[in-house]
Amino acid sequence: MRPLRLLRSWAHRLLGTRFLALLRKEVEQILRDRQLVKLLLIPPTLQLLVYGFALNPDVRFLPLGVVDQSLGASSRELVAALTENQVFLGAAHPRSDRDLARLVERGSLTAGLVIPPTFRRDLAKGGPAEVQVFIDGVDANTAGIANGYIQQILRRFRPESAATPARPPPVTAAVTFLYNPGLRSSWFFVPGVMGLVLTLIASLVSAVSLVREKDTGTLEQLLMTPASAWEILLAKIAPLFVLLQVDVALALVLGRTVFGLPFRGNLPLFLLLSGLYLFVGIGIGTLLATVCRSQQQVLLTAFFVNLPLVQTSGAIAPIESMPLFFRSLSLLNPLRHYITIVRGMQLKGVGLEALWPHALALLLMAMALMAFSASRFRSQLS
Amino acid sequence: MPRSSPAEPAGPPLAGGADPVLHVEALHKAYGALEAVRGIDFQVEAGEIFGLIGADGAGKTSTFHILAGLLNPSAGTVRVLGQPPRQARSRVGYLTQSFSLYPDLSVEENLRYVAGLRRVAEGDIEERSRQLLPQMGLGAFGDRLAGQLSGGMKQKLALCCALIDRPEVLLLDEPTTGVDPVSRREFWDVLARLAGETVTILVATPYLDEAERCHRIALIHGGRIRQVGTPEALKQGLGLTRLELRCTQRAQAAALLEGAAARDPDGPGSIVDVQTFGDRLDVLVRDADRGVAEVRDLLQRRELTLENLQITSPTLENVFVTRLRQEGAQPQPLAFPRSGERRQRTDPAIAARALSRRFGSFEAVRQVDLEVGYGEIFGLLGANGAGKTTTIKMLCGLLEPSAGQVTLAGQTSRLRSRELLGRIGYMSQKFTLYDDLSIRQNLAFYAGVYAIPRALRRQRIDWVLASCGLEGRGDMATGQLPGGWKQRVAFGAAVLHDPEVLFLDEPTSGVDPVARRQFWGLINDFARAGTAILVTTHYLEEAEQCNRVCFLVAGRSVIEGTPTAVKAAQPGHLYELLVPPGDTQRAADLLRRRWEPWRVGIFADRLHLVLDTAEPELEEVRRLLDEAEIRIQSLHAIPFSLEDALIGTVQRAAGAPP
Repeated sequence: MRPLRLLRSWAHRLLGTRFLALLRKEVEQILRDRQLVKLLLIPPTLQLLVYGFALNPDVRFLPLGVVDQSLGASSRELVAALTENQVFLGAAHPRSDRDLARLVERGSLTAGLVIPPTFRRDLAKGGPAEVQVFIDGVDANTAGIANGYIQQILRRFRPESAATPARPPPVTAAVTFLYNPGLRSSWFFVPGVMGLVLTLIASLVSAVSLVREKDTGTLEQLLMTPASAWEILLAKIAPLFVLLQVDVALALVLGRTVFGLPFRGNLPLFLLLSGLYLFVGIGIGTLLATVCRSQQQVLLTAFFVNLPLVQTSGAIAPIESMPLFFRSLSLLNPLRHYITIVRGMQLKGVGLEALWPHALALLLMAMALMAFSASRFRSQLS
Repeated sequence: MPRSSPAEPAGPPLAGGADPVLHVEALHKAYGALEAVRGIDFQVEAGEIFGLIGADGAGKTSTFHILAGLLNPSAGTVRVLGQPPRQARSRVGYLTQSFSLYPDLSVEENLRYVAGLRRVAEGDIEERSRQLLPQMGLGAFGDRLAGQLSGGMKQKLALCCALIDRPEVLLLDEPTTGVDPVSRREFWDVLARLAGETVTILVATPYLDEAERCHRIALIHGGRIRQVGTPEALKQGLGLTRLELRCTQRAQAAALLEGAAARDPDGPGSIVDVQTFGDRLDVLVRDADRGVAEVRDLLQRRELTLENLQITSPTLENVFVTRLRQEGAQPQPLAFPRSGERRQRTDPAIAARALSRRFGSFEAVRQVDLEVGYGEIFGLLGANGAGKTTTIKMLCGLLEPSAGQVTLAGQTSRLRSRELLGRIGYMSQKFTLYDDLSIRQNLAFYAGVYAIPRALRRQRIDWVLASCGLEGRGDMATGQLPGGWKQRVAFGAAVLHDPEVLFLDEPTSGVDPVARRQFWGLINDFARAGTAILVTTHYLEEAEQCNRVCFLVAGRSVIEGTPTAVKAAQPGHLYELLVPPGDTQRAADLLRRRWEPWRVGIFADRLHLVLDTAEPELEEVRRLLDEAEIRIQSLHAIPFSLEDALIGTVQRAAGAPP
């Protein structure tokens, strides 16, 4: 019975006139703030659209330069095999390998292929024939992909003129792509960007709304009233929380209508877990607000906190491509957990049975952030 | 000629017969339907300090903008140095109340930047900054960033910037708002010297003690000039006598005399106005003898004892308030709707013992003891950085003391408990209202946060609106209110819950004299109802309203007592010296070579001189002036003002070994 009574007295205190007065003031301020409504609608929409369309890791039409010193049917076949699937584009035929190297250096070619004069003879002998490949390694990701393609194509290359008939490879795989059968990259990115947008908006809006009070001096006045730090914080957070849930819905609708993203999970659970994440985002903003003195400072600080959060979250680049140290560090990144939840629920349709560790992580982080902010709140003026 | 006043100026140091430097005739300025300036005439001569004194929104800033060539008048003639203002711009220096400096540039860089803008030759910049900076007491701070200067130093640097291309006219729009008394006095010493070098100065100020230092002043109200003249002439022109009364039971005596003033507003020889101060009452009467008789008679009938009565001349504030009252510009005081009588308490409301606070190695407050009782108004006074705000923050629990003990409304621990905070009111230096909410929304918010019973809530919000003269305008956005009104609404918001203890940190900075007087009416009303009030202020005439004051110097409390006692405890004597107008500056320079500079101040055509011993030093003054062939027209002792006392205390403490 005791926890129930405690809960009731807590609810009574919370909904007492003091909290209502604080809440009402926040709502009145928000209603007068047209900027805020714009901030909540326009940047998320733009970001979702831009990232959804523009971000695409597929590599196509890489300019390829070929120096063919063999000048035979088999070398032409090899070039055709490399360019026919649109990964490479036969862009130049320099005369010497030195010219080729210069073109790669200048950046007008991404890859270069030198087919030596002995190519045809080696093939005809059935022995291994060698070709030389240059790849511009500045963009490591593209270079890796280009290398993969070239290796794959060369391995399968069997010139019609070859002496030995094609031998089937010993093992073949029958691959089925689960959850994203069309392998559409937007299905991967949109949930990530949704997490990214919520992080940015939630932390900025809450930080600015708190720092503004410090900036104008009303915070000092507020701290001299009987309102407790928890009441002040909760009253600030509650209306923002409702508005940010609108952003969650907006992202879902945009993903569905524009990118044809399915939603396979349980919607109420999704909104609940998103709410949990909003608390984390708001908590980050509140924490920043208690250490910063002006709006300008808090915006800059938020920038430096949010960027690494996004980059180590797997929103854009896969976590698997990070070094082990950062991979384990990213376990502390709330955005990583949220994105796992969003992808899991949207694409795989799994529920808490699979996602509970991530939900638990979010819950713990939200609680820690809010408790820390509240304890710092009182002492921040000194 | 300007509008005639009861007595024309006794004669500022004019270049006789020359054209006026500033000539303003039938000036009008309208912004849409709002008429800010409605026909102003005045003329200022070379080397004159001319003050524009008026309430917020009286039309002062519009006039400055027109004279500086930033705005065009709607109608009327304006000539600056015989030219239209826009053409005279290069010969005019303009200084506003907001610091127009780059905080991240050093003192010298700021000066160099402005000089470059104004096309001062490279060689001249060097020479003039070497001359100007030491004059302003900034000689040692050339490398310091402007953002790290105190408010007074910033304004002095801004003045240097305005002076770098040797303007012939200086326009100063409330240049000392928020600047502490010591710096303000230094600033005015500089102005007096500039006027001596025939720079013409037009200055607006809300501080009437500064108005005393102008050669002539104009009272401006509602876009019109109501009166022009020397401060002396305006005071005499009022035709009233001021009586300073000291008696027990001031509140009853004040109520009694106010009743008499209200009953008989136009009767002969009767009381015109009563003002309550911290340890005295000021009564304005039409005739000295009959006024004294009437006051004595009234008090005797109620068996109130009169301890002391002094007949003296009215102050500029009396002139200002009386004139504006004739215009009907003052909302009537209203009683605060209280929920019941409060019981009398004798224990201290605020007590501090050996209170100290360090910030790193800097000791902001050292071993301060103080005690404030219920119903008492206590003033914490001092220069910028003396530790006033740090002390107030420790007393109300916003800041943890490094050492010492605070007792607040009977509690020594848990100063931040919800129950205690509900009994305390606090108003900080900054505006504490939400600009984006309406006035009524702001008040409703604070009423809700303090959980004021619904029945009282409406009454009290209406009280704030009525006592600020804002009835029917509660839905106006708070951000649109002028500063002085906003401060009054903020005060209303801070006392909505009828606190037992009230902290006011510079509540009247930038508030005009009429609003300020009304402000103090409200504060006195709360004190009478038993609220303990601790107030800090830069404005020392205002500190006379406190029952007791305490001076902080470098974090230490150096003197404490009633305003009368503090003034009486001031060592030495204050003399007023009058010499022929052309010799004022020379005499001041001469005396400053013999005595410390702070002891000599120029007040328009007079000199104020603080001497520790009477006759021996006076003899020296006479001898020095005689040797320089400066004729003494008059030399007599005058009483110390609280400001004189503060400056004396601060300067002596600064001069003494620590």
